[in-house]
Amino acid sequence: MVEFDPIELELFKNIFVSISDEMGAVLERTSLSPNIKERKDFSCALFNQKGETFAQGSHIPVHLGAMPLSVQAALKALHFEEGDLAILNDPYRGGTHLPDITCISPVFVDRKLAFFVGNRAHHSDVGGMTPGSMPLATEIFQEGLIIPPIKLIRKGRMSSDLLELILANVRTPEERKGDLLAQIAANEKGKQRLKEIIKKYGLNKLLRYTRLIQRYSEKILRETIKHIPDGTFTFTDYLDDDGIKDNPIKITVEITIKNDEALIDFSSSSSQVEGGVNANYAVTYSAVLYVFRCLVEEDIPFNTGLMRPLKINAPRGSILNALYPAATAGGNVETSQRIVDVLFGALSQFIPQKIAAASSGTMNNVTFGGYDPSRERSFAYYETIGGGMGGSSDFPGLSGVHTHMTNSLNTPLEALENYLPLRIKRYCLRRGSGGGGKNKGGEGIIREYEFHVPTQVTIISERRKFAPYGIQGGKSGKKGKNILISKGKKTPLSSKVNIKVMPGDVLRIETPGGGGYGRKE
Amino acid sequence: MTKEVRIGVDTGGTFTDFVIFTDGKIEIKKIPSTPKNPSLAILEGLNEFLEGDFVPFIIHGTTVATNSLLERKGGRIALITTRGFEDILFIGRQTRRKLYSLRGERRVPLLPRHLCFGLEERTSASGKVEKKVSLPELQEILEKIQKSKIEAVAVSLINSYANSSNENIVSRELKRKKIQASISSEVLPEHREYERTSTTAVNAYLMPVISRYLEKLEKKMKKAELRIMQSNEGYIIPRKAKSEPIRTALSGPAGGVVGAFRLARAAGLKNLITFDMGGTSSDVSLIDGEIRRTNESQIGGIPVRIPIIDIHTVGAGGGSIAYVDRGGSLRVGPQSAGADPGPACYGRGNLPTVTDANLVLGRLVPDFFLGGKMEIFPDKSHGVLQILAKKINKSLLETAAGIIEIANANMEKAIRIISIERGFDPRNFALFSFGGSGGMHAVDIASHLKIPRVIIPKNAGVLSALGLLLADSIKDFSKSILKIAEKMSKKELDKEFVVLEQKSFKTMEEDGFKEEDVTITPSLDLRYFGQSYEITIPFRDRKTPSFSFISDFHNAHQKLYSYHHRGRSVEIVNIRVKAVGAGKKIRPKKHSRTGTSIKKAFLKKQAIHYQGKRHQASVYTRANLIPGNKINGPALIADSGSTTFLPLSYRLEVDSFMNLVIRKKERSNG
Repeated sequence: MVEFDPIELELFKNIFVSISDEMGAVLERTSLSPNIKERKDFSCALFNQKGETFAQGSHIPVHLGAMPLSVQAALKALHFEEGDLAILNDPYRGGTHLPDITCISPVFVDRKLAFFVGNRAHHSDVGGMTPGSMPLATEIFQEGLIIPPIKLIRKGRMSSDLLELILANVRTPEERKGDLLAQIAANEKGKQRLKEIIKKYGLNKLLRYTRLIQRYSEKILRETIKHIPDGTFTFTDYLDDDGIKDNPIKITVEITIKNDEALIDFSSSSSQVEGGVNANYAVTYSAVLYVFRCLVEEDIPFNTGLMRPLKINAPRGSILNALYPAATAGGNVETSQRIVDVLFGALSQFIPQKIAAASSGTMNNVTFGGYDPSRERSFAYYETIGGGMGGSSDFPGLSGVHTHMTNSLNTPLEALENYLPLRIKRYCLRRGSGGGGKNKGGEGIIREYEFHVPTQVTIISERRKFAPYGIQGGKSGKKGKNILISKGKKTPLSSKVNIKVMPGDVLRIETPGGGGYGRKE
Repeated sequence: MTKEVRIGVDTGGTFTDFVIFTDGKIEIKKIPSTPKNPSLAILEGLNEFLEGDFVPFIIHGTTVATNSLLERKGGRIALITTRGFEDILFIGRQTRRKLYSLRGERRVPLLPRHLCFGLEERTSASGKVEKKVSLPELQEILEKIQKSKIEAVAVSLINSYANSSNENIVSRELKRKKIQASISSEVLPEHREYERTSTTAVNAYLMPVISRYLEKLEKKMKKAELRIMQSNEGYIIPRKAKSEPIRTALSGPAGGVVGAFRLARAAGLKNLITFDMGGTSSDVSLIDGEIRRTNESQIGGIPVRIPIIDIHTVGAGGGSIAYVDRGGSLRVGPQSAGADPGPACYGRGNLPTVTDANLVLGRLVPDFFLGGKMEIFPDKSHGVLQILAKKINKSLLETAAGIIEIANANMEKAIRIISIERGFDPRNFALFSFGGSGGMHAVDIASHLKIPRVIIPKNAGVLSALGLLLADSIKDFSKSILKIAEKMSKKELDKEFVVLEQKSFKTMEEDGFKEEDVTITPSLDLRYFGQSYEITIPFRDRKTPSFSFISDFHNAHQKLYSYHHRGRSVEIVNIRVKAVGAGKKIRPKKHSRTGTSIKKAFLKKQAIHYQGKRHQASVYTRANLIPGNKINGPALIADSGSTTFLPLSYRLEVDSFMNLVIRKKERSNG
């Protein structure tokens, strides 16, 4: 056991969290993408020189594990100098899916590389087949501009050629530029604060506490795992399809708990698929971390320490660790949710009273774009829709919320209608969609869009064929539905679809309810 | 001539405070609060003033609105909205409160779903009424509402901020049926449907409660002129408080901030950070020549988007509990021992708190606690802290000092958020400390944040009630514009402002203010086109409208976020008008210096521990200090409700307003 000062530990914990929070405040308040500013689809983190996090402010759990992999990929590809800033989005070199752009800045102390600060944010468009860059693709090249780890800023100078190249490849260049500036400003804030802290406490002390904070989080997670009975359990659930072929995709996990460690084995899961629901390792890693973080009741700092008690086996070439150049747009948003479902399903066999029924299990990604003649500009927009939360032994599930791997806000429809050629006709709860039980599952949402101009629409959704499971005798939640209403005619749409809609057409999305907990008495 | 009596009444959790100003003299009174029926304590305190041959002017700060909301004890309400959006209050922004949780969470809505009604009507984002409200449909809903014994109805239709004519129809019919109504285009004519609807619904929810409460009070004080404090730093007449009770929610800390602002201004200070440390939490706010406001607050998880004083609260107070967590870190708060059992030294519980740590370090004067009225038990503090010290393998004094340091770090973080994060350098501010526990921490906190000066006012314990007497009558009006500034003509913008200004003069007139007594402050909420958050910029050139606010906005953006986009379009999101009616208010009294001897105030010497060393500190009683008195640290100043700790290298001076002014000692030349 390493000796540390419990008082100083608490003080440094505070400092680290406040730095990543301050970075987040800058990003949120100055970015232009609705995904970042309204939906808070971003994360900020501080890293040691090896790229391990010691602090991370995260609104979006799916970024949890992925951030350190970004810095490690950048470290491998680049030689950092003072004043540099690297960006990347390549899922095979440190990214998750293409719309998530990560910015990393080294922090030098006495001309030596000491730390990194970084942030990742979901941009509304990074080019590719369809506006919003969440297409139904079969290889990554179709999904948008691929940015390997490169330096956008060299020794304090913006590489304007590079910026021009990026902006030339996206549909909404002005907005991208604004978002990138916001990301750069957030890193500057982090750098400046870290330097202040180093000046105040000295580099050595700071380094020591970055290590101790990691051990602290690790220790609490180990204690938590220790309270779970030893053993091995498996659980299987399915993704509807990959949007290209109509086959269900199997996801199986086997969890082995041994004392204070957990082995998480996905080796019986399906191989990678043609359509874009492949997850890369970062996404799988994040989902595992999310689930184990939920087991810890107290508020603990999120950092690399939490990864140490967990061993993950996700074979290369599987749906959970896809190989280049598989398409990945939906892995981050949809497959990640199913990974969470199977993990909780397996854990519920270890600790039945503690685990809730499945939540809606999909982010219901809706992307659209086109040309708006009245405003004389192109538009591209992406949003996700909440669903029902699973019931737990304590409470019924919440209705109409985002669950598990996302917690992004909706965009006010009064904002949407002001800027886009469409109208929201209906936005309400889907009565009766929550699974029955002692504690009912929450209800899903019904959202109807009426389009005013010809618009390209892409939907990536799940749980249209396999319902969110109930638990301990509770009933499953209702499956979701996608429906196009054109000239009074209703056409059911599949879970993943790309269509062109005409003025007056209405798209109705009905999202799944949560599963129920316990038999109803 | 009848005598002039002005009374500030502030209902707190434990005591109801009265500051009574009669013909130039100030008197203070504290009555134990009666939480179940707050008016009992108020009437008890006011009794002697309600029967004289004079008309007392009473300004009341109340927590009735906040508490009914937090405890969900508001009225029985219904919501009328656009069909298809009946669940708007239940979906909210689609987010959960706890990101990592196995259990989910409990939510208690303001009203049941079957009392949310949808009308087949629609206004477009550009303000065009595309489907008018159908009266037969409305009648049907109103009948259902009347059958359900509803006390008040909230009305919020989609896009009503752009054109309220459909809402006006509903409003008119509700009036005709004599149903109390809260109309979104009147309460908050701004875009973002969920926040506007929740604000409007909260207002309806509070209407019956506040009406009953104020009617009861008014009946008992027929001879008095009653005013109610709002969360925006000004007061309103009871009739307005009944129709817009939401404006009184979160008004609790407002009196204190106004008090700080006025007292500091009298002493010549414009820039201050207020620091109110109580038993369970601390409130901080920033004043840069004026009280700063926010439109982004929440009460009990529900967004309330009216302008209120920008106060940041952190769960660290005198009663915050210290413990060692599973990872071996020493934690302080946010759980609090409250007033009961209270800190271990109260003798009723065994929880080590910040107050116990202060006591062990000698920063409290045991025989002067609450002016000597309350017995405390230092041994209990030693006992519980000793146990904690053993757990973390430290000495008793190190542990106590650690608890203070951690609590201070929490409070420093709160101050960073309202200052540095918003582009203000604390070095240009004074820390204005009040509340029961502030004085023991203020100097350390100021020194960490490089704040050069600490002010501790007299009567710090009743500053909220005193502040009520120093407040003005204030009303806020706003309207969403959502237009690119460059695309608006001066004339167009002027027209929008004139409408708001006329509205403010009219309402101020109803409160008894003539147009010439009303000061109007116009401002604009601006953002770069495409952003989601606005910055409120004063409209300096209102009289000769120019668009200089655009360059002010670029500068403000630079200051807040360290960059700006010169070429980018600026969007006018909302326009605002603040109307201030300067009523009679008392002025802080200036004392002439009456000498410098502090012998009368000296009480004793007491051992204290500071930065790992033991020192002998002089203890003074605040009541006997006079302007001009100077004290060198280490010292303690004991007041009836609080103790001020003056560390070693600091110096204190009593100014002519009886404030304690603390600065770092300048290095002497030998």
